[in-house]
Amino acid sequence: MCDRNKIFEIIRGVLCEILDLEEVEIMPEIYIIRDLDAESIDLLELGLVIGEKFEVEVNDDDIFLRRLRELIQEADENSIERAVFLSDKISHFEPDRIDEILLDLENGPVLKVKDLVEYICHHKQA
Amino acid sequence: MKLNFFGKNLLIAGGSNDIAVCTAKIAVKENLFPTLTFRSQKSASRIEKELSGMEGKYGVAFLDFAEPDSVDRLFRDYGVEPDYLVDLVHGDYESLTASAGQDKINSYLNQNIAVRTGLVRLASRIMVKKRKGRLLYISSAAAERPAMGQGFYAASKLASEAVYNNTGLELASRGVTSLIIRPGYIYSGRGKKFADKDFDTIREKIPVKRLIDPQELAEAIIFFLSDSSLSFNAVKIRMDGGLLAGKQ
Repeated sequence: MCDRNKIFEIIRGVLCEILDLEEVEIMPEIYIIRDLDAESIDLLELGLVIGEKFEVEVNDDDIFLRRLRELIQEADENSIERAVFLSDKISHFEPDRIDEILLDLENGPVLKVKDLVEYICHHKQA
Repeated sequence: MKLNFFGKNLLIAGGSNDIAVCTAKIAVKENLFPTLTFRSQKSASRIEKELSGMEGKYGVAFLDFAEPDSVDRLFRDYGVEPDYLVDLVHGDYESLTASAGQDKINSYLNQNIAVRTGLVRLASRIMVKKRKGRLLYISSAAAERPAMGQGFYAASKLASEAVYNNTGLELASRGVTSLIIRPGYIYSGRGKKFADKDFDTIREKIPVKRLIDPQELAEAIIFFLSDSSLSFNAVKIRMDGGLLAGKQ
């Protein structure tokens, strides 16, 4: 069983250290790039530290959804429903989260703190 | 002047040539712990012979760009965790572009650019975690002024320079910096054979009228690893006695 609260607390601690923030500023629904202004170098370090702390091999493309728009384009080009295609390609997300992301695309980078928690949870259980 | 170093572990890729062993000897004297890579039993033996009397003060590890997995194994199996990387690896391939074989072109550029980039990637990821690191790439004056037949060599050097340059640019805020040295004629390896054949012609081209001694380059490398040099970041420095400064 995955303890999401514990994983969140650890990730929050890492984010605080890397982005020089207070804990109260980081909640599961916060956008990492849109709200916290995380840059590429911050994400690189975040992936490395998270991987070490949870002893999982972090794929930066997957955890930070770097290929999201490319995948959506691929789905469109092949006339596959976006949600179905993304569910297949992004294995750590539940369908609800994929629907939420698809509705949120126009507003900017969609990555939230809770997405990192799900990624770790998925890989710890695998 | 006493040199200070923020770290201890020095990885010397391409560790069996004259420059590498000279660098390792100075590094040991400076209380660094060099790990020199070898790609054959012969090169491992050479390192052992050259560094005899320094046992326990250096390490060796297998690395061969022709075996891309050896880059992963270097860090995974040998447990190398470098604070410093000096990259002296270079593959030999001289051919006119129009007469080169496509398979050889593919393998040469893959080994000397893509596999090398894998080395930089893994080393720099370790350095980011430590929030400190220094990457030195030993390029060549031929990157700027290749002779005929050196197109692939120059292409791989220029591409690799770009990789090191950008790594220093991208990771500087995490304490990881890079520097590229472009040596001219070195009295070592192929340069020595070349010079022995036609020393006067080569010497005439070089304003200081001499070739670079491997010890001299090694001393420069150690300086450019030291804390005193860390503001030299993402930059190329010629070390060629003025060879490329003037009109040819």
